Amino acid sequence: MSDLVLKDVRKAYGEARVIHGIDLDIRDGEFVVFVGPSGCGKSTLLRMIAGLETVTGGDVIIGGEKVNDIVPADRGIAMVFQSYALYPHKDVYGNMAFALRHAGEDKAVIDERVKKAAEILGLEALLKRKPKELSGGQRQRVAIGRAIVRDPEIFLFDEPLSNLDAALRVQMRVEILRLHQRLKTTMIYVTHDQVEAMTLADRIVVLRDGRVEQVGTPLELYHHPCNRFVAGFIGSPKMNFLAIDPIDDGRRVRYRQSAPIDLHVKTRSGAVPTEIGIRPEHVRLVEPGKGAFDGTVFVVERLGGETFLHVDFGHEEPFVVKADGGVQLRSGDVVGLVFPAETLHLFDAEGVAFEQTERHALLG
Amino acid sequence: MTNIASTGRARAGRARGLSTKAAVHTVLLGYTIIAIFPVILVILNSFKNRRGIFSDPLGLPRGETFSMEGYATVLTQGDFATYFANSIIVTVSALFLILLLGAMAAHALAEYRFRLNTLLGIYLILGIMVPIRLGTVAILELMVDLNLVNTLLALILVYTAQGLPVAVFILTEFMRTLSRDIKDCARVDGLSEYRIFFEVVVPLIRPVLATVAVFSMIPIWNDLWFPLILASGDATKTVTLGVQQFIGQYTVNWSAVLASLSIAILPVLGLYALFSRQLIAGITSGAVKG
Amino acid sequence: MSEATTEQEKTAREAKPPKRRKRRVGGGWHIFVFIAPAVLIYTIFSIYPLVESLRLSLFDGLDDGSAVWNGLGNYVTLLFNPTWATQFWNALWNNLILFFIHMVVQNPIGLLLAALLSLAPRFGSTYRTLIFIPTLLSVVVVGFIWELILSPLWGVSETLLGAVGLAWLYQPWLGLESTALTTVSLISVWQYVGIPMMLIYAALLSIPDELIDAARVDGLNGWWIFWKVKLPLILPTLGIVAILTYIGNFTASFDLIYSIQGALGAPNYSTDVMGTLLFRTFFGQQLQIGDIHMGATIASMMFFIILIGVTIYLVLVQRRLQRYEM
Repeated sequence: MSDLVLKDVRKAYGEARVIHGIDLDIRDGEFVVFVGPSGCGKSTLLRMIAGLETVTGGDVIIGGEKVNDIVPADRGIAMVFQSYALYPHKDVYGNMAFALRHAGEDKAVIDERVKKAAEILGLEALLKRKPKELSGGQRQRVAIGRAIVRDPEIFLFDEPLSNLDAALRVQMRVEILRLHQRLKTTMIYVTHDQVEAMTLADRIVVLRDGRVEQVGTPLELYHHPCNRFVAGFIGSPKMNFLAIDPIDDGRRVRYRQSAPIDLHVKTRSGAVPTEIGIRPEHVRLVEPGKGAFDGTVFVVERLGGETFLHVDFGHEEPFVVKADGGVQLRSGDVVGLVFPAETLHLFDAEGVAFEQTERHALLG
Repeated sequence: MTNIASTGRARAGRARGLSTKAAVHTVLLGYTIIAIFPVILVILNSFKNRRGIFSDPLGLPRGETFSMEGYATVLTQGDFATYFANSIIVTVSALFLILLLGAMAAHALAEYRFRLNTLLGIYLILGIMVPIRLGTVAILELMVDLNLVNTLLALILVYTAQGLPVAVFILTEFMRTLSRDIKDCARVDGLSEYRIFFEVVVPLIRPVLATVAVFSMIPIWNDLWFPLILASGDATKTVTLGVQQFIGQYTVNWSAVLASLSIAILPVLGLYALFSRQLIAGITSGAVKG
Repeated sequence: MSEATTEQEKTAREAKPPKRRKRRVGGGWHIFVFIAPAVLIYTIFSIYPLVESLRLSLFDGLDDGSAVWNGLGNYVTLLFNPTWATQFWNALWNNLILFFIHMVVQNPIGLLLAALLSLAPRFGSTYRTLIFIPTLLSVVVVGFIWELILSPLWGVSETLLGAVGLAWLYQPWLGLESTALTTVSLISVWQYVGIPMMLIYAALLSIPDELIDAARVDGLNGWWIFWKVKLPLILPTLGIVAILTYIGNFTASFDLIYSIQGALGAPNYSTDVMGTLLFRTFFGQQLQIGDIHMGATIASMMFFIILIGVTIYLVLVQRRLQRYEM
């Protein structure tokens, strides 16, 4: 078990810079998820920690030791890959034992460790099978088992569930969580799926274009996104955004012709709020005429337990509103929208969020 | 890859009318006969005596026309055992080098990012467009300088150089489709780059290696040009050259000519019977679609 | 997964023996080791000879065996000296006829066979396997097979033609100046038709079934599906077949003609091609002495002619023919 420190880590392929100096401190035993849209550099960063990509600048420090030039096998890490990466010509046992055999480990030790990992993952009955005789979920278990056998100080997961179908993904997610609870080993997990990130992580690192946007616990990111990007990325369906006009030097704002509203935010010099954000689950529906705006429902998505309403109120982007499953609304109905004050997020023209001093009442 | 007939188009085929079906089979069967009739004719007549060959060329060898005299002449007059040994040594050695060096180079091109990657890739593939024969004048001079004229090594080296471009091309294309994860996984497991190649990559590309092998083999085994120019000595003659010269000497001895042709054909047909699946699968898998 | 985390596990991990020395990442030597042998052999025995041939073509040999710079003199000789020019243009012309016959006979037949095979008839793979057999045989063998079959001595062709009432058509085609080249071309077509067939067949197979189903739903029948959907999609493959035919035409034709008609392209040079001209020039034949430099010049001319073809293909054909994502 070990902690991991990244110090101003950079990566460039020739002129193309893909990681722009990342600082990160991952504590021993922590489950950290790197999340971001494709091309944000999350996988590259993970591969640099693994030693599969060279580090162009900065240091990767595992357990207090700089490992920039150490080969992957000697970094004390194990990695689980998206495509499982099982050796097709070896059976399950052979796959799990491969690294240890290669390292010249004692036969009895190998056998004990493989059996143990197989037991943890429920693979005992499959040890003699070849990868092609396994289902996707079983293959992923073998890939995880192979990592467990190596008894690493840090587990690295590179989008391990992307190739599984939805139901299996939920199941494997739970298994990985329980594995972490049991082994208490540091785990770093890369995904583009914010639901996976929210459910698995002790801390989430949101990346975009090779930079860290925000680091925090899932709820910190949900409640206090530091900018518009994080606010839009975390949460499903996405947060709704509404452009507003700042007046009186940004001390008050209004939306189109609505009455000006006082703000209670820490002002920053040179920055005024130009946009508000509100999550679909925070918008309240009321009788027409009783809310801030009236809008027309034009799409109703019923998921059973909940319903997503797409409401058009003249804003260029229609709002998505989450209502309960039994809501009696149909396409074409007119509703009133209320944006409860305590749930609003405010952003300036650059997309940077304002820290709120006091939850303010805005737009009804 | 091979079992194509069982796809959805088979259903469509059944739905077609009977007359269309009959027409399709007539054309295919007709051409198949055109393709194999001459070969069968030669093989059949090689088992006849001179009278049988001329009086009834289209008939099967029977009691009075059956004869192995052609083969007897070939085996006593020509040194076909040596020719075969030469052909096998040359073909197998060149194939081994083409596959080993080609796979290694393809692995480097497909796996590693390095400055000359694209350039070297293009350079190695140029040879597909430019027949190596055009350099014959200089190849002969080179072999004279290296003292390799009339050695099998000369042929092996030239055929290796000739076979590498296509091998590198096909193998690089294929290796690019291999999962990067599995090689990275081997790295995390502590394998050296060499062991990754031999223990992880080579087992994964085995089917394609077989295809490339069959592909590269045909032009080597059948070549007349380089044996004629580089190794026409009696000790280094290959089957193709041996047959060509044997026939030149025995033009009037029809049974001998037919027998020597059959001797050249039969091993190829035998190998084809064994490997046709690989060969055709290789061609149709799109490996050479460009 | 069992829930229990035992103390045992934790202590076992902590009691791990001290780690061995950690290995450091090496340089890029392995890349060199992987790629160098192939590059080396290929350079020495393929590229160098080619370049050296180009160089030799710029020199002229003296009687004492030394060479003097001759600039483009050899090329001028080849193109304008009456003796050389006649042979050169004759050989090139014959090569082009050969190419033409392959394009109008071999490739359409290959396309037809591939189209029929792609309908997945019964025994399809058997037909495919058998039709490909001639392609595997040595050109030498093929040449002799046909020489025997077409020989008036044996009379097989006459008998066969007689069976369909066409015996009057028979002539010793390989021996007549007017028909020799066409006959040789058709023999080559017979041998190599398997290659376009296979390549086109593969291309046809790679067209997704959904696309064909969609066309059928759109109301097209088999014939129109072939013309309107399949053919446009396999055009790039037809382009490749054409360029392979062009290149192969300059190399493969030698073996066949040398075997059947000899290095002089008998009868009376009517089947003389660039390959036989090169061989004859380089090694000498009858009264002519071998000439390395003229040989290199002819080889270089072939190189340029192939280069022109490939360039036309790359610039015109390849660029125009869109490759569709399938």
